[in-house]
Amino acid sequence: MPRALITGITGQDGSYLCELLLSRDIEVHGLVRRTSSLDRSRLNHLFSDPAIYGRRLFLHYADLDDPTTLRRVLLKVAPDQIYHLAGQSHVGLSFEIPESTCEMTAMGTLRLLEIIRDLPKPVRLFHASSSEIFGQPAICPQDENTPCAPVNPYGCAKAFATQMVGVYRKAFGLFACNGIMFNHESPRRGENFVTRKICHAAAAIKRGLQKELPLGDTSARRDWGHARDYVRGMMLALEHDQPGDYIFATGQLHSVQDVVERAFATVGLDWREYVRLDPRFMRVAEPSNLAGNAARAKQILGWEPVISFDEMIIEMTRAELAALA
Amino acid sequence: MSKKALITGITGQDGSYLAELLLSKGYEVHGIIRRASTFNTGRLDAIYADPHSAKSRLFLHYGDLSDASALSRLIGRIQPEEVYNLAAQSHVRVSFDSPEYTTDITATGVIRLLEAIRETGIRPRFYQASSSEMYGKVREVPQTETTPFYPRSPYACAKTYAYWITVNYRESYGMHASNGILFNHESPRRGETFVTRKITRAVALIKAGLQDKLFLGNLDAKRDWGFAREYVEAMWLILQQDQPDDYVIATNETHSVREFLEVAFSHAGLDWQNHVAIDERYYRPAEVDLLIGDYSKARAKLGWEPKTKFIDLVKLMVDSDVQALSDQLAGKVKPNH
Repeated sequence: MPRALITGITGQDGSYLCELLLSRDIEVHGLVRRTSSLDRSRLNHLFSDPAIYGRRLFLHYADLDDPTTLRRVLLKVAPDQIYHLAGQSHVGLSFEIPESTCEMTAMGTLRLLEIIRDLPKPVRLFHASSSEIFGQPAICPQDENTPCAPVNPYGCAKAFATQMVGVYRKAFGLFACNGIMFNHESPRRGENFVTRKICHAAAAIKRGLQKELPLGDTSARRDWGHARDYVRGMMLALEHDQPGDYIFATGQLHSVQDVVERAFATVGLDWREYVRLDPRFMRVAEPSNLAGNAARAKQILGWEPVISFDEMIIEMTRAELAALA
Repeated sequence: MSKKALITGITGQDGSYLAELLLSKGYEVHGIIRRASTFNTGRLDAIYADPHSAKSRLFLHYGDLSDASALSRLIGRIQPEEVYNLAAQSHVRVSFDSPEYTTDITATGVIRLLEAIRETGIRPRFYQASSSEMYGKVREVPQTETTPFYPRSPYACAKTYAYWITVNYRESYGMHASNGILFNHESPRRGETFVTRKITRAVALIKAGLQDKLFLGNLDAKRDWGFAREYVEAMWLILQQDQPDDYVIATNETHSVREFLEVAFSHAGLDWQNHVAIDERYYRPAEVDLLIGDYSKARAKLGWEPKTKFIDLVKLMVDSDVQALSDQLAGKVKPNH
């Protein structure tokens, strides 16, 4: 049975990827950080299944700033594939904690590359890069040849990690891929990301648990896909015979306003009565014009997103409603 | 009261030239040095006076780009008007052997310094020593401030991160933070493991009959080589501008290692082909392409131009190493410079 190791397995993408790989009869190992609250809500359904946890799914304590432990776990697990999804992934927060963002997202990736370079058995690496590496690009849509020009500490760290993956592929012949992921959401998105925040608020207001929704700039537009589609792209990238870099995106732009309208319509409320502009949620340097051209992923990997924006927001809002029932 | 400048990397080639320049302009100069069991301040000997002397305007402080608290404390205490970040693990080939350390200092070190500045609330002007290595697999020739980066070594990836985070702090927090994108710059103070200095030192030793062979890597590698003493003037000029900005500093000429060998050996009356052998261990795992910098913007906005061109640069480096060796052999000591 092929073996995969996932960093960031407790996150949105990690949990979907874990399910996908298990469904393909791949044994999954995940790295988890020690915290005093054992919050692995996205994995609970797998963790509590005795047919899965301890048989086909294994979790190991490790941290991207602890190279000795990483090396020990990698040597013990000896995976065929590594999906590197861990990182301090919140753009707004990267202005609050820029050094640790750099430490985890940039240095953490490099440490992993260094360990992989020395492993006795060759392993395939997928690195989850981000459209934030492009910053505020002059050309839209972006593709794999668009220059990096990040505008926030998160984007700077991701650009570093992406370029380093390219260097290790070229210099040391590693099978290492970058997936340049545009925004991707789902019911498992972190609660402090704007889509989840809006869907949660619409449901909470509907249930009478919340009165209003403060938001930053709602005209900001993004290329938003569904995480379940995107983790399939990750797997396809590592199943191909050649390593490469791929854009994963829908190519469609939607505004925060579109999310608001779709979410509130799902619960049958008029958004105008509840949404309030709050400058505290404005980003310092706000990216715009980010839309991805995923033609290469389609041509080489046969990848295409299948879940539409509307379907996704409806699914997210209904999940919030169900959680608050 | 004199202006205060803080230099990281003050013990290096550029740091020592910059310290001299700033002292000559009346600055009080502070430098950060790392603790090591051997003294590494050789390049500063000429300008370092007893710190207890009232006239002393050069101060060295222990610190490290890996130590955020020390950086914060030093900046708060010194309150510099200008900060020049020249410190780095700056050797490209070594960055393939020691990539994590290179990144910790060359990339993460910069954000530690920027955060320390932001936290103290004083608003010094900030200079970041960026590098032509960021262009790597070049997207256009010659390279300008708008040429996209394509780094090809851990060093270059780290420098590219440092470049962007500097731009980001300028745009996000209104800092007067600028990048000088310096193409290769050499001098008699260049580190001995860099190819130019390795050649000129070997020429001196071969001429004196103390060495026969010189082992080198890729002789076809081409670079845009200028004179470090002139490049530090550009750093200072960049911080004197009203607006922060990014500038290419280069000669707009490119020459191969082979050409460097020809000029250096023939200047000493030697034929390089009799002495040079190839050692593939010195090849980089991934080489950069044709690096040649267009410095039009620096000329137009800073009034800066390189004066010492390739042939004169090679000759002055050979002359210096020949002189240093003969001083050393005559018992006047002080190797290196």
